[in-house]
Amino acid sequence: MATVKGCNIPDDLYYNVENNVWARREADGSVTIGMTAYAAALAGQIVSCTPKKVGRSVEQNKSAATVESGKWVGPVKAPVAGEVIAVNAALASSPATINADPYGSGWMVKLKPANWDGDSGGLVTGAAVAAAFEAKMNAEGFAGCQA
Amino acid sequence: MEKWRVIDTGLRSAAQNIALNRALLEARQAEEIPSTLRFLRFTPSALLGYHQSAEQELNLDYCRAHGVEVQRRITGGGAIYFDETQIGWELYLHKRDVGTTDMQAIARRICHAAATAISVLGVDARFRPRNDIEVDGRKISGTGGAFDGNALLFQGTLLIDFDVEKMLRVLRIPAEKLSDKAIASARERVANLKELLGRQPDVALVKSYIVEAFESEFGVEFSDGDLTLSEHARYQGALREIETPDWVHLVTRPLSDMPILEAAQKFPGGLLRASVTFDTGTQTIRQVWFTGDIFVSPRRTVADLEAVLRDLPIGRLASRIEEFFARRPVDMLSLTPNDFLTVVRLALKQPLLAHNP
Repeated sequence: MATVKGCNIPDDLYYNVENNVWARREADGSVTIGMTAYAAALAGQIVSCTPKKVGRSVEQNKSAATVESGKWVGPVKAPVAGEVIAVNAALASSPATINADPYGSGWMVKLKPANWDGDSGGLVTGAAVAAAFEAKMNAEGFAGCQA
Repeated sequence: MEKWRVIDTGLRSAAQNIALNRALLEARQAEEIPSTLRFLRFTPSALLGYHQSAEQELNLDYCRAHGVEVQRRITGGGAIYFDETQIGWELYLHKRDVGTTDMQAIARRICHAAATAISVLGVDARFRPRNDIEVDGRKISGTGGAFDGNALLFQGTLLIDFDVEKMLRVLRIPAEKLSDKAIASARERVANLKELLGRQPDVALVKSYIVEAFESEFGVEFSDGDLTLSEHARYQGALREIETPDWVHLVTRPLSDMPILEAAQKFPGGLLRASVTFDTGTQTIRQVWFTGDIFVSPRRTVADLEAVLRDLPIGRLASRIEEFFARRPVDMLSLTPNDFLTVVRLALKQPLLAHNP
């Protein structure tokens, strides 16, 4: 568990820091992905989330879902490539869950990874996570997550 | 001084204009183009926000019968009717141009600059949160944005002249049928330059004021340009995706999930009616229109109240109305803030009675 400027950034997940997204390798080999607490704080209250449809393939660093907040629309980019095998249908009726619980019930898409070992090599995990996000937040002039 | 580009892509179909949105945003993200201001116009179109469903937002039969093209934007916000009587303006920027990651601050800054440009024409245009520009409480420009990596697209409309009746026919909005009263009440909420100025404004002049306002806001100089080869190539690719039913119907939700609920009640201060577009899935008020036989001063109060109730989760209704009236002096004779709450709650209690075409 790491907390950076008040944002919860668990160090057991894998991150693409630039795209502000996380991935978690599940016991069955699938990969769950979502936005970080920092990304959710930058977006503010999320009002819509449309994931890619089940069965579609997503390339690494391409959009796996699209979110809207304050009339801005933007992509959530897949940290690893894969085929969409599940989407979080609950987000359609309660998109604010992404702000409230970004690593738990706010997950967005589950992928069957095309090449986990290859793609995850470039992701940040473990002890390096906190410093990587702190550097990003400083570069972007971010004051901190609100409690 | 840093040079940005201004282009004018003229009158185009909605699919072409939205494919250009995608193409220019991608090209800006790839650093193939400088930051750019684009002017654009549309043949008659109904444009959905990225996450909206055509069935819920539009009168599709009317659109089909009258040649109104239905398209989906890549930007957020609500459905709009766009035709030759409006111009569009768009900024394609890099995040370093705006110096903040606060997206609401970016929208506010761009809207303030656009409002300044409109005001030079001789009307008092102001930014109204969250994303409108208004003149004396009446909307004259709506805006929305999209981002991809470090590139931002922020776009707005500007009503030069406007057919309010056509808008009421195209959009599914909570006005009581298509009566003279509904048209009059829509006119109280939407303004256009021709009407405000009493003459047709010179569109070239309007554009030059917008250019100057953004130059001054961002400390840059614009020079005229054209689409580049890489933008043309990206545009062709984007058009193949966007000019398809799959894109237009990317999000579909049944009409029955978003009823328009109505209620009216007689209070000591007069008869107050509320029409509420209610999203049953997210339990969110999308839009409220208040009408009735009431006296409220200043007149813009009702439009401002409607603006703060947009996209509001139902649980925050009471506190939002209370905060709204606590912050401003309003003369309503014996009508009270609580009367507005009461009539909206009354409307929300009758989902089963609602049947709207």
